[in-house]
Amino acid sequence: MAEKVKVRIDGEVIAAQAGQTILEVARANNKYIPALCYMEGLSSVGACRLCMVEVSGVTKLVPACTTPVQEGQAVVTASPQIDSYRQIAIELLFAERNHVCAVCVSSGHCELQSLAQEHGVTHVRYPYSCPRLPVDTTHPRYVLDHNRCVLCGRCVRTCAEIEGAHVWDIAGRGIGSHLVSELQRPWGEATSCTSCGKCVQACPTGAMAEKGWAVEEMTKQRTVVSRLTSMREGS
Amino acid sequence: MTVALASALPRVDDQDLIDRIIGEQDGRPGALLGILEQLQDANRYKYLSMETLEYVAIRTGVPQSQVYAVATFYALFNLDPQGTHTVAICRGTACHTRGSRMLLERVKLQLGLSESGTADKLTLTTPDRRFTVRTVACFGQCALAPVVEIDHAIRGHVKEQALIREVDQLRRDGSR
Amino acid sequence: MKIQDIAAFAAVREAGLAKLLPSRPRIAVGMGTCGSGNGAEAVYHAFKNEIDSRGLDIGLSPVGCFGFCAEEPLVNVWVPGRPLLMLRRVRPNHVDDILDAVGHNTPVPAETVLCKIEEWDHLTGHIKYGVGYPDVPLWRDVPFFHGQVKIVLRNCGLINPDDIEEYVGIGGYQALYKVLIDQNPAAVIEQVKAAKLRGRGGAGFLTGNKWEFLAKAPGPDKFLVCNADEGDPGAYMNRNEIESDPHALLEGMLIAGYVTGAARGIIYVRAEYPLAVMRLERAIEQAREYGVLGDNVLGRGFAFDLALVEGAGAFVCGEETALIASLEGKAGRPRTRPPFPAQKGLLGKPTNINNVETWYNVAPIVSKGPAWFTETGSPRSAGTKVFSLVGKVHNTGLVEMPLGTPLSTFIYDIGEGGTNGRDIKAVQTGGPSGGCIPADMFDTPVDYETLAQLGSIMGSGGMVVMDADNCMVDVARYFIEFTHSESCGKCVPCRVGLDKALRMLDRFTTGVASQDDLPLLDELCRMVRDTSLCGLGQSAPNPVLTSLRHFRHEFEDHIVAKRCRAGVCQDLALSPCENSCPLHMNIPRFLQLYKEGRLEDAFLSVVLDNPLPASTGRVCQHPCDDRCRRAGIDEPVNMRDVHRLIADEILLSDRFDAAVERVRERRLEPTGREVAVVGAGPTGLACAYYLALFGHSVVVYDSRPAAGGMLRYALPEYRLPKAVLDKEIELIERMGVRFLFNVDVGNDISLNDLAHQYDAVFMAIGTWKEAWVYLPGTELTGVLPALPFLEAVSREQEVPVGKKVVVIGGGNAAIDSARTARRLGAEVTVVYRRERRDMPAIPEEIEAAEHEGVRVAYLASPHRIIGDKNGQVRALEAVMTKPGEFDTSGRRRPVPTDEVIRIECDTVILAVGEKVDPDFCRASGLTLKEDGTIVADRYSLETSRERFYAGGDLITGASNVSNAMGYGKKAARNIDKRLMGQKRFPQLLPEFTYVMKPPEEPVDIGRHTPSETPAAERVQSYQEVSLGLTPVAALEETSRCLRCDIHTTER
Repeated sequence: MAEKVKVRIDGEVIAAQAGQTILEVARANNKYIPALCYMEGLSSVGACRLCMVEVSGVTKLVPACTTPVQEGQAVVTASPQIDSYRQIAIELLFAERNHVCAVCVSSGHCELQSLAQEHGVTHVRYPYSCPRLPVDTTHPRYVLDHNRCVLCGRCVRTCAEIEGAHVWDIAGRGIGSHLVSELQRPWGEATSCTSCGKCVQACPTGAMAEKGWAVEEMTKQRTVVSRLTSMREGS
Repeated sequence: MTVALASALPRVDDQDLIDRIIGEQDGRPGALLGILEQLQDANRYKYLSMETLEYVAIRTGVPQSQVYAVATFYALFNLDPQGTHTVAICRGTACHTRGSRMLLERVKLQLGLSESGTADKLTLTTPDRRFTVRTVACFGQCALAPVVEIDHAIRGHVKEQALIREVDQLRRDGSR
Repeated sequence: MKIQDIAAFAAVREAGLAKLLPSRPRIAVGMGTCGSGNGAEAVYHAFKNEIDSRGLDIGLSPVGCFGFCAEEPLVNVWVPGRPLLMLRRVRPNHVDDILDAVGHNTPVPAETVLCKIEEWDHLTGHIKYGVGYPDVPLWRDVPFFHGQVKIVLRNCGLINPDDIEEYVGIGGYQALYKVLIDQNPAAVIEQVKAAKLRGRGGAGFLTGNKWEFLAKAPGPDKFLVCNADEGDPGAYMNRNEIESDPHALLEGMLIAGYVTGAARGIIYVRAEYPLAVMRLERAIEQAREYGVLGDNVLGRGFAFDLALVEGAGAFVCGEETALIASLEGKAGRPRTRPPFPAQKGLLGKPTNINNVETWYNVAPIVSKGPAWFTETGSPRSAGTKVFSLVGKVHNTGLVEMPLGTPLSTFIYDIGEGGTNGRDIKAVQTGGPSGGCIPADMFDTPVDYETLAQLGSIMGSGGMVVMDADNCMVDVARYFIEFTHSESCGKCVPCRVGLDKALRMLDRFTTGVASQDDLPLLDELCRMVRDTSLCGLGQSAPNPVLTSLRHFRHEFEDHIVAKRCRAGVCQDLALSPCENSCPLHMNIPRFLQLYKEGRLEDAFLSVVLDNPLPASTGRVCQHPCDDRCRRAGIDEPVNMRDVHRLIADEILLSDRFDAAVERVRERRLEPTGREVAVVGAGPTGLACAYYLALFGHSVVVYDSRPAAGGMLRYALPEYRLPKAVLDKEIELIERMGVRFLFNVDVGNDISLNDLAHQYDAVFMAIGTWKEAWVYLPGTELTGVLPALPFLEAVSREQEVPVGKKVVVIGGGNAAIDSARTARRLGAEVTVVYRRERRDMPAIPEEIEAAEHEGVRVAYLASPHRIIGDKNGQVRALEAVMTKPGEFDTSGRRRPVPTDEVIRIECDTVILAVGEKVDPDFCRASGLTLKEDGTIVADRYSLETSRERFYAGGDLITGASNVSNAMGYGKKAARNIDKRLMGQKRFPQLLPEFTYVMKPPEEPVDIGRHTPSETPAAERVQSYQEVSLGLTPVAALEETSRCLRCDIHTTER
């Protein structure tokens, strides 16, 4: 039986279990903290930095998705500074690759797009990179468009942690980081891929999609991963 | 580590050598890095071919995507054959403040290499595979800045003309 | 031989000592990578061959590096009973003499002698070498070593790193032995805590606390890791430590292993350091052989083993969680903490990671105690830190200093100032995680907290010194380029934020940034700093943030003026010479035009860039020489003398009128606007000339009877014949400029009157007020200020100069006065309180003065002027000084000694500095600075009063002709832009077509310098000293140009 702790989130006292992260506790209590790389059922990596919050007694901002709650802790989920940093992070993602909502199958169902709407990001102040990136259409059922990838790594973790195939990884480094299947093989030729499609469902944007959908038509079953995890834990 | 060989092993040269290196590193910390370093070193063109990477992945049981991620993450690994001669220009701070960028530009110009390289590291090889020009973060020879390494020999206090002359010499020696 | 008991340990120690102090002479060659890069291998082999072939009874051994990289290769020579003699810059051709000296007690080659060591405290043991060599300085008396405290580097350069016995010989592994015998791990951890040892990798976490966490973690399955992935560009102390003394690292790890209960250690070392890897492998092997590593360490039942892992080139692996990932065979991407490595580290086991240098402090703390350790350093930062002092500094090398030592000690005392005596602008500390600290903050103590307050960090201890040739925007961009390419790419702020920051910085260095970019860049950098996942991203913006804080004006230069003063950002300059020229003359163009035999075109090119080309061709300080890339081959192109020749050939010939016509053709349509210029000196003339070319009506006011200002009234005829100047002024006049002489603005006409009459006013009066030095005796007859003296001579008035003249000062006015007095037949002595290299006068002029028989007393500070009973000067007394500490100008402050000199004389000329007399602008509403100069906008030159512009000495204080003219030209452009609402300057220039092709091979011709009238002849008259280049020499000179104006990418 996990130990109980009391924390204060945005002023409200909340009871939680020791070991739970700030993000889990906040979400369970309808406190909104944005996140992109986080997905229920997967390990947390703290990569998108959208969930940065202020915690009493700590001078730096901390990622809510990997920081466990502590007794007596006071958490602030939003402030002018945090909001401005979140806006910048979202702008940076838009400026990194080629996110053109008007031609995207996921438009209207895209987490990046929603984040921009929620945070009032209406334009990007930084120079766009406009890289020339490939679209991998070799898989019979799915398509991977690197232009829309935000490198959250949810597909990588889904495949490694849930499916156990480890088809995906992030190759290269820095701004040259990119998603690879096996040894940079076309997805359709990756022998370790089981074509289960869970990576597609985990993808927050239109980077991974099922073939055959038109603009705005691709909706994803985001709960596939968490459902599987909880069922496995239950068994 | 005997892993069930789910896939067929690809054909690689020097299979015995690779097996021996993998065996020696087995279980050591940093084993995968050590294996790839030694394999690259043993290769005539100082690079890791796709077949080698696949072979290593299957023999060690490390997922292919992870082997590829490692091979592309570290600056030391080359996935393309390297030139016979390597000119490595230090881009450390001391070298930068003493004009190493100019040296790089001149050598690239001399060898007809025009691309500015990818974001993560600069390694350019001439089409005839005679020369590879690369940058190194820092040789730790800062007191000798600017520093250039030509075929593994460090040159200190390098001047543009001297460097060009030396590269020219290598070019002429090879064409005889 | 395995050491299993104390007797065996003692035996090894004896054997080791016998190697260090044998009964025969010993020669040791410093063979770190630095030494080898400088030729140490060849020296070692020369010694070996010669000792063998001569059959000498001399021991020869490699040692590590003693840290003085600038003087490598270093060689130690020891003869029993004598001190250890340290030799520098030893070449194979010295070997014979050195061996002779050792054999026959003759002196070693003097140029190689660096210092001697009589005894050495290895902290774990003490070595007495001997006494002797009275003429050789002790090591601590060498400036580079003075004040260094060698704790970490205690053995470096003195013992053979490949021989465990020598390490044991100086007391090595004794601390480990003691710890194993005492069997009290907790007490050792307490000692390390009490010593307040902080991690030397950068973050400065308390080592004792980290060890305690690990000791408390349950189970034997834990790891100790040494982080030797030294990746900070500009820092190489870890490499040197390992190469020179690998066993001290092993001992530190073994002690920690015992007290924290860890049985396995890993050293993660950069693959770029092959020699360090080799020496470590060797040390580990020997340690196993001697029973220091293994199942039963020193027979005390403790098991510990070490593995070596080579990193594969990823800076981020210096980050502990990334290093762990790398050890686990993954890409080196950091992960978030908690959990901390002490809880869950390598393979999920508790792990402690310390930097190389931290481990080196362990054995001394154990053997000498924490109280001894905290004696060194500052209260919060105990002990020492090794720094690599590199870049634009005279002495480069590794320096171990107590924490809390001020930066100035590093730069000026140990480093002995800038390379070639140049001024230092800043020092970069902490590598890509640190920042640049400006020279005026060099009193900052170097410790963890203080540097952090300045926005930098101590980091791994890199110190890269920068001078005026380094652009701070470029340096910031360089570091962002570095961290950007080393970012692992996992978190958004670091991966994308640094990429965008780099793109924005590119806009600065290429001159397309706007004012809005500054706050945007600043905000982005703060976001990256505050939200990145690991230390790399969190600290990567520091170089930009500190530069924005301390060097914001350089960023603004790149935005507003589109200029990079350092001449680094190539897109902002035509060529290095053009960039260095205050008038921004297109130097390669006139050189090429002259080379093509197009004298008239060359003159047009020159004169449209510079209306006084013959005068500046004679007296300019030629900053272009300092930047000319030809200097990398032989010597700079003599650009100044070529444009002098071009100007002379036209101005002093019958081609003059035609040339004037060609310039007049460039004049734009009359605008009907009227501008007043106050002052007909070089600044005013330049401004008036361009305003006239722009089509404005210009009137120049001057209180003197002719134009030229300082050029006419301060520069002696022998430097600038007035006939030449007259021609230049005639050309300016023929452009339509009107002169009103003998009008004293301020008295005869007020600035307010000018404001009513003109559309704009440009003020450019010079520094005519001689600063008065407060010296007893200045009231005596025979004491003269320099400028009135020079002016009187140039007006051919009577001057009261006697037979023996003393000139006080070191600037151009001092030298001009001295040479003029010499021509009046006097014996002349210049008295200057600093060294020659500190003299502001043009070096060639000082040299010429000396040729003419002017004596210069350097390091002599005037003390009083002695008079006779009639109040007439009789002598000057000066206190001799010696160079002391460096001041903020980067020059050594003269410190008085007891020695006083007396110079008999009847005249004393004071040339200690000239000032602006701001009297003329009283009640005009202009804002002045304390020194009397006028405040004007850095870029537009507009003063606090609208439509009033100022430039030259009036806003900068005393400067030189070309700087002054640069301001005049800039003012004209800005005034025109203001009056006409557009940038019209380019319209003045015709299209010049000339060959745009760089030379295939640089021509093998040396620099031409003009011949001079012989000294004996010229002191008799005012005949011009420099005779200028001949047309043939000038033509050859033009072919020496490397054509940097053709940018490399287009070649």
